[in-house]
Formats: sequence, structure tokens, C-alpha cells
Amino acid sequence: MKAAERPDCVVIGAGPAGLGAALAAREAGLRHVMLVERDFELGGILPQCIHDGFGSIVFDQVLTGPQYAQRFIDRVEKSGIDIRLNTMVLEMRPDRRITAVNPGDGVFELEPAAIVLAMGCRERTRHQVMIPGYRPAGVICAGAAQRDINIDGVMPGRRVVILGSGDIGLIMARRFTLEGAEVEGVYEIMPHAGGLTRNVVQCLHDYDIPLHLSHTVTFIHGRKRVKAVTVAAVDENLKPIKDSERRVPCDSLVLSVGLIPENELSKQAGVELDAVTAGPVVDETMHTSVDGIFACGNVVGVFDLVDWVTRTAETAGRAAAEYVLEEMRKEPPIRVNPGRNVKFVIPQLVRRPERGVDFFFRVEHAEKAVRTRVLAGNEEVYSRKAKFVRPPEMVHAEVGAQAARPREVTIAVETGGKKDISSDEE
Amino acid sequence: MSAEYQSLPSRAGLVVVGGGVIGCSIAREAARYISGIVILEKESDVSCGTSKANNAEVHSGIGEDAGTLKQKLNVRGNQLYDEFVRGLGVELKRQGMLLVVTQRTVPVDETGGMSESEREDILTRKIPDAIVAYGEKAGIKGLRTLTRDEVFATEPNVTREAVAGVFDETYGLISPYKLTIALAEHAVINGARVFLNTEVTGFRVEDGEVKAVITDRGEIETPLVINAAGVFADEVADMAGAGGFVIHPRKGASLLFDRQVTAEYVRSSVAEFRMPGQKTTQSKGGGAMPTAEGNLQLGPTAIETGDKYDTSISAEEIEEIFERFHYLLPDFPRDALISAFSGIRAPTLEEDFVIGASEAVRGFVNVAGIQSPGLASAPAIAEMVMGILHDLGLPREPRPDFDPVRPAPPKFSELPVAERNRLIAADPRWGHVICRCETVTEMEVVNAIHAIIPATNMDAVKRRTRTGMGRCQGGFCHGRVASILARELGTPITAVTKDGESSPVFLGMAKDFLVEEKR
Amino acid sequence: MKSKHEFTCINCPLSCSLVLSEEDGEVLEVSGADCKVGEKYAVEEFKDPRRTLSTTVKVKGGALPLLPVVSASPIPKRLVRDAVRALAEVVLEAPVADGQVIYEDIMGTGVNVVASRTLGCEHDG
Repeated sequence: MKAAERPDCVVIGAGPAGLGAALAAREAGLRHVMLVERDFELGGILPQCIHDGFGSIVFDQVLTGPQYAQRFIDRVEKSGIDIRLNTMVLEMRPDRRITAVNPGDGVFELEPAAIVLAMGCRERTRHQVMIPGYRPAGVICAGAAQRDINIDGVMPGRRVVILGSGDIGLIMARRFTLEGAEVEGVYEIMPHAGGLTRNVVQCLHDYDIPLHLSHTVTFIHGRKRVKAVTVAAVDENLKPIKDSERRVPCDSLVLSVGLIPENELSKQAGVELDAVTAGPVVDETMHTSVDGIFACGNVVGVFDLVDWVTRTAETAGRAAAEYVLEEMRKEPPIRVNPGRNVKFVIPQLVRRPERGVDFFFRVEHAEKAVRTRVLAGNEEVYSRKAKFVRPPEMVHAEVGAQAARPREVTIAVETGGKKDISSDEE
Repeated sequence: MSAEYQSLPSRAGLVVVGGGVIGCSIAREAARYISGIVILEKESDVSCGTSKANNAEVHSGIGEDAGTLKQKLNVRGNQLYDEFVRGLGVELKRQGMLLVVTQRTVPVDETGGMSESEREDILTRKIPDAIVAYGEKAGIKGLRTLTRDEVFATEPNVTREAVAGVFDETYGLISPYKLTIALAEHAVINGARVFLNTEVTGFRVEDGEVKAVITDRGEIETPLVINAAGVFADEVADMAGAGGFVIHPRKGASLLFDRQVTAEYVRSSVAEFRMPGQKTTQSKGGGAMPTAEGNLQLGPTAIETGDKYDTSISAEEIEEIFERFHYLLPDFPRDALISAFSGIRAPTLEEDFVIGASEAVRGFVNVAGIQSPGLASAPAIAEMVMGILHDLGLPREPRPDFDPVRPAPPKFSELPVAERNRLIAADPRWGHVICRCETVTEMEVVNAIHAIIPATNMDAVKRRTRTGMGRCQGGFCHGRVASILARELGTPITAVTKDGESSPVFLGMAKDFLVEEKR
Repeated sequence: MKSKHEFTCINCPLSCSLVLSEEDGEVLEVSGADCKVGEKYAVEEFKDPRRTLSTTVKVKGGALPLLPVVSASPIPKRLVRDAVRALAEVVLEAPVADGQVIYEDIMGTGVNVVASRTLGCEHDG
């Protein structure tokens, strides 16, 4: 085998996170940035997300997924980034040594000065939510169905039941309908929709597709191909109510039951993972626990908007460049604690509060008339009102430069009045 | 090349009904003596019934009742195994089984006033000693008792309720479908032919002798028939008038975990020892074991079902498995569950194997009632059946031209780097990874599709290459595998199936439904 | 004639349930909105609901068999399904440039449908 190549930075994955990180690293002055992608083209999941709703923050414009990707792809292709398509990373070690393979280069080794992880996430499958029944053809995850229909041009179902009302499930309800398939209904185990209201309205209401809240699928029928599913209402403990079972004839069951950050490589490299986000613990530069390994986008935690993915990617790319070019200042990290009604916060650590930090977090439950507060030690450094917070929507808190170095930072969502110290509400 | 499209021969020296592990074992052994054997399988691949969905266990025989044919063939089969798989390119891993004696083996409230020290003596000495003595009497080697500390040294994740154990070192695991495929291919290399999608509908019997097998694709004259039809063996025997037994299908469900998470979670197979009468089900109790490929597997259950096609799994079964193993392995990684499957066992009412030449129909041999430990017993069953066939006229002289090797297709993920690069240089498809979870390349899929027993659908490719068997369960690769199947088989992608007829993966092309609507 | 129409506001996570009262097409009142944006949204949804149309069209000789397309601006909601049906008949030849007009004046709306990505030819790698 050839001697290991030594790029300044290797970015793993060329979805929105990888594209943004590679560009940022290159623009920050790195000479050899290598972008590794397992698919035959750049863009990751975006080329199959043909609907609009992307880019309102980054471009101040509403774009489709392919349009959003195209803007980055056009720049990446002109930027002198070393693009390796059809390339799978086989192994990544704590010393940043990478083994990868593609049809042209064969198996090759990389010893980059820095790595940015941008592998995105994968879909939770039927067994992870334990749906009993047979294992016929016609049980498919929503994102996989989206790829079938929008990229490969094949229809995985004609009479469809959708389980889970996450955004991809809602988007696919509309997509199946517009392709002439029939969506019998969307079933959601929780008492509220999993996706954005905009998608409930524009993907379900617009097409008269019923959304059955507090319902789940209890059995998959059909030995060879799905023939029907049994659906049932669930009680307050999310257990199916036997008497409410109903058999729904269909030829496919589409699942939109959650996303899992894809961190198998991160684990190989010894990157510390957060039990709640299932992604790497990062500081405000998106630096992981392993020296010289950064992470961004959905591999860190599942974001609701691609714009935030891009934001973290740019941070990670710039930081990777800084790491390579000048070695980072190794401040001991300050721990960021999720406080009241906060499920998790990205980043989990802050090293240099004097530069300001972008926090992203999700709440645990929906709440009205709330205030997001960021406390540096006991001092409030950010406070902002919001009318409403819901688990599907991520909250973004941009905290300005702080002179002090607190021992810890806490982010909490509180109810009850208190005056704004920062500007107007978001 | 494709066995599916060849026309049936008009005659054969031996016809084996059923392409499971038993049928293929017998065919491969018989191929040592004659060529021109025919295997008939009604499904789209070999290993589609009980052989597909079981726990891959090659038991030692310790779990069987003394004096049964099952125990005799199990002990013998285990001993023959290494020789049996030589040259097949399929590995038996003898990683051993740990039988754990726990506090609930003899619960305190069931001791009938026995002292604590007496109870402890029973648990830590008498029971383990009795298990070893029982096994040794049956001819099982490699059994040894373990102290509590030795149990934890062997398997650190076992419950703290463990008090002692027995280690059964000849126990092993082998991929049952890879073995079946390899046996079938080895038989074909030696002149046998496999006909898939071919269902037996009857037999021609004249003067108490079998003359021909009738199928939905024509008739084959033969003097010898092996009935290895698994759960359907009773129906097949009845077609020839050689029946007299009933198969009552019994489901067994198992859970499978992500091998990246569960590697080394258990190193051997771990089972809880239950006293006779404590077993709640007909299963030997099942266990926690790494599969031949390294996934943690829990199960199986045992549920009587009236339906020979019932491979469903119920919420109750999943719960039962979780409950059962929560005791034995308190912190097993529930979240790493990636798959659950259910298989059908084929027991007779007597619960023992039914192996023998029919008295009513000369030339017709039943090999039925083969449930666990069928996989372990396969070599001994084949050996026993050879004896029966020799008596019925199968030549006793081995063929001089028997080829002892079935070349196994290379697996990219298991090759050294230099070999990987040599293959990629020769054909770039070796460098195109299409299944990320299991690191399977395009060329491995192509090879499976053009193998001796061709993989013609998604599940058949999966059994041979592991595509779609990982944590994403085909989310990433299913479209890619389907396109390769369509390309290599020269069919439209809408003709690609999950596992044969009536299981299309796709129901149309994009725009098809819209254009149809308009018409 | 007076009647009421219900909408769910999509402008913020609050998801207000809006009720619009009208008489012969004249909006009388919007209730349930927590802010002005909601009121405006209800009126728009009542008078002239519009949606951005996104779908795919078939491509010959492309790196992919389909090209994603989007309406250059939102079109009346009631025309979306027919527009998608019309686009199902289109077959393009690769290559296609991002932004290229694929279908002019879809359903007489005056809005063009354009390619939402660049798509190269099959063997251009």
C-alpha cells in the first residue's frame, strides 16, 4: 500500500455539515482539505429533500434541499478542495489515522492534522421501536422511501400507512400523495405531532390526510408483502389499548420514528459521546474530546433546521483550520448544564467565553410564555422571552463575548415574568 | 447457470425433497457416492424454512433426554462437525456454553426446611456435579464445573445471583444458512442439481415402491426419495402413503443486537440452568449468545402455532425475552436491538426425530421431526441416512472423482489490505462499499447473484453477504442492492423481490401511478 | 352568507388555532391569533392560499433518472395537484443547469417551474 497521505484536514461526509465545514476550513487558510463522501455525488441527504423550507437563516431565502446543496456544491467545486466520492471510511483511530476505500484509489491511509466528523444521522428502524408481526417487504423508513422516490425513481408503496409524525414522515405523506399513492393516515404515539406545524398543515391538512394522535401500529400483517397493519390507540403510558385495535389494509408501512446520530467511527476513535444527544461532547468550537477531531451537524445531535447544521459546520471548519495553523489555546473547559426544561445543549463545553458562543438546545416539554436564561455561574448573561417552546423546534441562543470565566454555565427555560436584559424577543 | 431456469431431468438416482440444512447435508453426503442427485425446494432459495431462522447452535447434547435418538445423534453430530465442514468455507466456532446455576435454581422458599448450608451444597456442588455426570454418561466430552468466581471470570456480565456453573466446551455456533448454502453448492460441484421454486405435489408409487416424484414443473423418475421437508414433512410423507406422523409447528422468536455494541458482551453462549419442571416452555430455555457473526442474540421462545407459515413475533414474546434475560444478564444493552425474528420448529407429537425407511413405500426415507438440536445433529443424521440408503441400493463405494472443496467467495471485510487492493485493481467494484454497516462491496453482491446457487432476491443476497443485516437494517443499501439485482438479472427493478414470488420491493416507478390515474 | 373557517397558524411554534369569519367573501373577523402575523396569515389562507410546488420530472441520460424542480414562486394551492400531474408527463434530456426553466407558465399561473439542481450526464462521473 502507498504511504499515508497527510492532508491538513479530512472532513468525513459531504452533506450540509461536511460541505460547510470543508469550505470554512479551506477559506480559513488550509491548503489541503479532503472531503470524503460515500455516495457518488455531494450533498448528503439534501438532494432527496426536494421540498422547500431550507435556508431562511443562512441565505434569508426559502430554498429546496437540492438548491441549498447546490449553493455549497458550486463553491466547493471551485475551492480546490480534494473531493473523494464513492469513498467509505473503514476505520478511524484516536491518533487520527484513517483507513478508507474507493474504487479508484483502493484502500488508502490518511494521517490528517485535523478531522471534522460530519456523518449525519440514520433512521430508527421498526425493531428499535419494536413493532410486532411479520417481516414482509413493504416496511421502510421514511428517509429511505424519500430516496427511493426522489432519487432512484421507484415507488416503495401505493397504499401507505405512516407511523410517526416527525418532519420526514409528514413530508413523505405529501410526497406519496403527489406521486399518486394513497396515504391512509399518519399515526403518532404521542399526544402531539412530532414535526413542525407548518408541515402538519401543508403536508397533511392540504391533502386531507388524517393524523391520529396517541395511536400506534401494533402488528404488521403479510408474510411476503405487507397486507395490513393493526393500529390501536394508546393510554397515558403509551401502551396500546386492546379494544381500540383496528386492521388497516395497506401495502406498506412507512416509519418516521426518530433519527440516531451516526457515531460508529467516532466510537472507534474514542470520542466521548453524550448519552442524551447520542453525539460527541463538544465545546463551542465543535472540538470533541479527542485532540484534533471536530464534529458538526446531525452527527453531534439531531437539528431541526439545516441552517443550524451549516452554522455548526462553519464553526467546526474554522476551528479545525485554527487548530492546524496555530494550535488551539488549551483552556480547561467550562461545563454547560441543561437546566429547567432543557433536554440537552450543544455545545456541552465552553473553552473561550470571550469569543461568544452559539448555543442550541431542545426543551423537554412544550411550554407557553417562557424565558430562556443563560447563567454564567450566578450571573445572567442572556435572557430572552419566547411565546412558546416545543420539543421539535430547537432553540438557538447567541451569547455575546463574556470577559469572566465562570466555573459552569447553565441554560434554563423558565416561566413567570422578569425583565429583558438583552434585546427584543426572537 | 441459474438453477431456477433449468428444466427438470427426467430421472435421478436420488431426489431430496427440501433444501434445508438436513436435505442439503444428506445430498452432499450422498454425492460422495453418486452424481445426478436432485434437490427440490419450493422456496426461492435453499435454507428458507427452519434452517434460516434458528439460533445457530451446535449443542453438545447436554440438554437432551437420555436414551432418545435426538441425544444420540446430537452427541455424535457434534463430534463429527469439524470433519463435516472441512472444505466448505464455513466455520464452526466452538466457543462453549456456560450453564449458570443461580439462586432461583432452588429458591429458598422451596427447600422444604432444608438448612442454608444444605441448600448451598446442592446449588454449588451437587447440581453442577450431576450435570457433568449426566453429560459424560451420554458421551459428551469437555464438561467441567465452575465456581461462582469462575463463572464471572468466564462471563463478567452474568447476574450476581449466579452461584456456580458448568462449562460445556464442545458447544459451538455456525451460521445455519451459510452452512446450508455451502452444502448445497458442494453437492452441486459434485454433480447434484438444485431446483428452486419447485414444489412437490405427489409421488408415483407402484407395487409398494417409489417410482417418481411429481412436481409443479414436471416429473422425475427415481428409486430413492429423501423426505426432508421440515414443517411440511408430514404432508409430503402422506402424499406418498409413507406417513403416519404429525408435525405440529412451534414458533421460536429471538432478538438480535448490534454487533458493534454487543461484541464480547458474552463470549460463550450463556444459559440459565433450570430444574426439570421449572421450564415454562418447550424450548430448552434458550440463551444469550454471540451469533456466528458476533451479534448478541437472545432467545428463542417456544409457542405452539397452528400455522406452518407463522413467522410473526408478538409483543408478548418480545416482552418475555426481555423479562427472561433481564434476570440472567441484568444490564444487557436493550437499546442496541436491531432485529427480531421468528422461526418455525418442526417437532412431531413424540418430540423425537423420525428417521427411517418407510415400511409402506420402498425407497422412501423420512427424515422428519427435526427440531433443535437438528443443526448440531445434521452430520450424524446424514451419516445415519447414508446407512439406510446403502441398504436401499445406494452404492457403497465412494466416487474417486469427489471434489472435497467448495470454494467460499471472498469477503472484503475479512481480507488483509494487500489482498483487498489486489482485488480492487482487478475489478474496481471490490472498492465500492454499498453496505456501510457491514462493509459489503458491490462485487460481493455480484458474486452472490452469480453463485452456484444464485441469489435472486434481497434476502438471498443478505444471507450470503450480510447486506442489510446491520444497525440500519437496509436503510442505506436496499436501493443499491435492488439496482444491482435488476442489472445482473436483466430484469426491471420492479421485478426485484424481498424473498421470491409475491414479495416485490417496489410497486412501480415514479410517475407510474399518476399516469395510470389519468388513463 | 356568513360562515367561519378554521386555520392553524404556521408562522411560529405557538401554532395558534385561528377562526376567520366572513360574509360573502368579505372578512369580518379573525379570532384566536396571538399576533398580527396570524391574522394576516388567516386572511391569506382564506383569500388566496398559495404553496411552493416541488416535485420531480423524468430525465433521459442523466446521472439520475429524475430531476427535482420547484415553482419559481408560490402558486395557488388548488392548482398544485394538477400542476404535478402535468409535470409527470415531462421528459427532459440531460444535462440540466440549476435554475433552468423546465415548464413555463404552469397552469396559467404565470409562474415558471425551474430545475432546483444541476444534473450532469450519466457517465460524466
